[in-house]
Amino acid sequence: MECKVRAIANVVLIQVVGRIDHTTAKAFEDALSPHVSGCAGEDKILVLDFSGVIFISSAGLRVLMIAAKQCRKQNGKMVLAALQPMIQEVFQISRFDSLFELFPTVRAALQAVSPAAAAIYDGE
Amino acid sequence: MTASDEAMSTGESTSLTIPAEVDSVGPCIAFVAACAAAAGFPAARVREIELVVEEVVVNICQYAYGDAPGEIELLCTKTNSQDLVLEFIDSGKPFNILTLPAPDLTVEVDQRQVGGLGVPLVRALVDTASYRRESGRNVLRLSVWLAR
Repeated sequence: MECKVRAIANVVLIQVVGRIDHTTAKAFEDALSPHVSGCAGEDKILVLDFSGVIFISSAGLRVLMIAAKQCRKQNGKMVLAALQPMIQEVFQISRFDSLFELFPTVRAALQAVSPAAAAIYDGE
Repeated sequence: MTASDEAMSTGESTSLTIPAEVDSVGPCIAFVAACAAAAGFPAARVREIELVVEEVVVNICQYAYGDAPGEIELLCTKTNSQDLVLEFIDSGKPFNILTLPAPDLTVEVDQRQVGGLGVPLVRALVDTASYRRESGRNVLRLSVWLAR
């Protein structure tokens, strides 16, 4: 599992690639945590690009749940984009699809949370 | 014959016995994934089965053995062209993952329990499930169908 982080305007775009399972959940948490702690209001919005995530188990869902709770406490926003079918299924079973705002593409997520970030993204 | 080097025949079983520790999750997943692939299961269904294996093995290590040493025997049987039966056998204390309480999935994020999602995932992704305590061992029997 790898996370690549980019700042685009007021968005932190985190591209997650690989399997988020019991062996990689801790690394995922460590990669996510510093960005979640700064996720508050409109100043810093997190967009997780899940297009490269091919597997997630309850260990990975646990990390997302902790992050979601912290964002909620801080009045921050964290959304997810481009879930593969297996991840969508896991989200449906665990009802994570009702806890998170989900978007079909990174572009759609950026447009929804920050048109300024979307414009920069489009210009690349 | 291993599961990966030839197609599995109906009624054929393969087994793996491995220490009950989280480091065994990977080999357990690889073993079952090879069985499922050899039985002709499509990649998407194999991935669902891998998820079930991770959740079950982690729970056996944590709850049946309480992180004490022990072993897990995994038995994979192709019962017909459409089904695969997975049996997880351990000698830990009586433990039935099927009766663990599932978290309330209907509440808002503030109220949602952290963790415990392995149970609903297993229930949703297998087609039949049963548990028995037999000769001091836990036997969890899960059947997974090729098509759902």
